[in-house]
Amino acid sequence: MILALGFAFGANAQAKKPTIMIVPSDNWCVNNGYTMEFENQGMTEVVPDYTAAFQQNSDLLLVISKLNGLMADRGFPLKNLESEIKSINSTSALDAMRSSKSSGAEVAESPVDALLNQAKADIIMQLTWTVNTTGPKKSITFNLQGLDAYSNKQIATAAGTGAPSFSAELPVLLEEAVLSYIDPFANTLQNHFDDMFENGREVSIRVMRWGDWENDLETEYGSDYTELGFIIEDWMADNSVKGRFTTKDATENMLIFEQVRIPLYFERNGRQRAMDTRRFASELSRFLRQEPYNIVNKITTRGLGEATIFLGSK
Amino acid sequence: MRTNNLKTVLILLVMVLSATNSFAQKRAKKLADEDTKNWRYEIECEGVGSNGVYLIKIFSYSFNKDVAIEQAKKNAIHGVIFKGIPEGDRGCVSQPALARNSNLEQEKADYFEAFFAEGGKYQKFVNLTTDGAVKAGDRYEVGGSGLFRRKEYKIGIVVSVNKALLRKELEDAGIVRGLSSGF
Repeated sequence: MILALGFAFGANAQAKKPTIMIVPSDNWCVNNGYTMEFENQGMTEVVPDYTAAFQQNSDLLLVISKLNGLMADRGFPLKNLESEIKSINSTSALDAMRSSKSSGAEVAESPVDALLNQAKADIIMQLTWTVNTTGPKKSITFNLQGLDAYSNKQIATAAGTGAPSFSAELPVLLEEAVLSYIDPFANTLQNHFDDMFENGREVSIRVMRWGDWENDLETEYGSDYTELGFIIEDWMADNSVKGRFTTKDATENMLIFEQVRIPLYFERNGRQRAMDTRRFASELSRFLRQEPYNIVNKITTRGLGEATIFLGSK
Repeated sequence: MRTNNLKTVLILLVMVLSATNSFAQKRAKKLADEDTKNWRYEIECEGVGSNGVYLIKIFSYSFNKDVAIEQAKKNAIHGVIFKGIPEGDRGCVSQPALARNSNLEQEKADYFEAFFAEGGKYQKFVNLTTDGAVKAGDRYEVGGSGLFRRKEYKIGIVVSVNKALLRKELEDAGIVRGLSSGF
């Protein structure tokens, strides 16, 4: 409830700004031959090879550069996938070589840390285009999708086919397409942000249990013998904005909440601060640590919009 | 003596004609402004230029051709802010209006009154292309039937609107929200 009130106070505070990155779609990468194949448990999987796409396709660089510039004009500079991949590679190489001066110990990195250390953003601008040829005429079908990395919802879009041209070259047609579609795209993205400011950020929260914990989500607490799963669900209803959330799955081992609307701000020491999923989940974590539950737990997060609480130990 | 009288009459006649003409011009301007407020104009997309500049053909109505040509600039900006640009047959993609709230014009009436006033800021974002020349097919006479009814012109003029700069102006003035506002 306190968190939900915080949402109403936050008129002057700044919400956490989502990061946006343009990524060529799998469809575009496959159609243009920028793929890698690897064996995964006997199955051959085809995945996009972004490094090859950036090294070999000048049109892709042109489109991304143009889109980056236009989004920067709107006060929303984008993360650059190519730079992000390079930066991760060089940081990983440096970390692998680094050791403590006194003990010689290596930099600690769990397998999960290694998995998380990849190019990511809160919103993915997925880019696809195809060149249509009819006799001497060429046209471009352009598709720009804004995908929320946590809810997997398409939150913005702009797509269509440009006018056929006899003479214009592909880069010119692509530039025209970018200029034509950026405003409709930004408009639908603004709708998403308006909804976020009105109804809170939409995030996912999972509650899981460690295998060695003696209790589970069906353990009953209190004088009315309420199951832990329902106690957590009630907390979610009291603290999400306008009580909005969906319980996707509920078993004795896990609870998965989707479309949880969390406030954008909370108050600390008399000041408004931006709220993210980690902060919101930490309130649930604190609630579970207190009497009468006394459940030791651990929080992990993925970006701005996904948190998991593990019950039973740190 | 008679020559002096004739001179006085002529001077008076010129003054009356000039005042009538000026009055007619003012009236035509006032009517054209009312048409703008009442959305009485049509927009067609002519093309998308680089750096957020759009070529738009605006059809405006007036009894006076010159007023119609001048009003095209005001209508173009009004249209880009409140109507959006419809899809065109030259590969133009439909562009949303800058105003996202249908009551914005009323809610920010003071701002828009000054913005669209004679010599107002709207002029900064629009240019007449081809010096305001009107193509033969873009000039129509509408109305004008009946004994005393005056002819009205519907005139299509191509203008360029710097939508990127216009959006920035409206964002800076707090009239519309920018994509990054609140973050």
